[in-house]
Amino acid sequence: MTMTPRVRKFALTVHVTLSIGWMGAIAGYIALDVAAVTSQSTQTLRVAYLAMELIARYVIVPLAFASLFTGLVISLATKWGLFRHYWVLISLLLTVIATVVLLAETQTISYFADVAADPTRSGEDLRALGGTLVHSVGGTVVLLVILVLNVYKPQGMTRYGWRKQQEQRRKQQEQRDVMLQL
Amino acid sequence: MADPSRTTDPKPPMPRWVKVFGIIAIVVMLFFLVTRIVGGGGQHGPGRHTGGNSGVTEEQAPPSGGPGGHTPPEGAPAYP
Repeated sequence: MTMTPRVRKFALTVHVTLSIGWMGAIAGYIALDVAAVTSQSTQTLRVAYLAMELIARYVIVPLAFASLFTGLVISLATKWGLFRHYWVLISLLLTVIATVVLLAETQTISYFADVAADPTRSGEDLRALGGTLVHSVGGTVVLLVILVLNVYKPQGMTRYGWRKQQEQRRKQQEQRDVMLQL
Repeated sequence: MADPSRTTDPKPPMPRWVKVFGIIAIVVMLFFLVTRIVGGGGQHGPGRHTGGNSGVTEEQAPPSGGPGGHTPPEGAPAYP
């Protein structure tokens, strides 16, 4: 399956937009996360936890899945493939890991939001919750690594990619030989 | 008939950046594993909040406002 240049460019634009949107959403989330960890105001804590859940559930998670999906489509429909180049393979692994950790972390965030939404919970209860900074900052670092890999596309072909390349060259060579014999 | 050996390149070695990347990944994973075992991250993960306590208590039942927490329609007496 291959894409025409126009479709490929469109798909790439969508993928980049979703991926950068994912990072931007995490940046907004981190601001709330910092407020949740540092603020002494009960009201601020309540609002921060509730907003964190909304952003995570309705912005970050959908963007993560959309980014993963468009990345898969682009890699499978272009010469890069999914397992042919180390930078694509590592990007895929990191994206899958980041998405799985995000899904697990969403449960924690939902719990925080449940506690924050409970008017009977005191400020002490909310302050005891803490935040998810390790995950949100760690997630940002992982996404930055993926971004760098995707922009620089460092060289290096996997064994599978090398085998595929050899097969392709062999076929081309055979076709050329047939043409010469005619 | 094409000679397959004509188009066969030697297998490429694994690039250095992949090796460095792998080493860093292993170090990071070991770091998290050790911190978890030692206890620094013993309360790490979603289970720390959900294990044995779903977080929903009776106190979180719908507040006043009628059965199911619904607000009575406008004009209706709140406490018939």
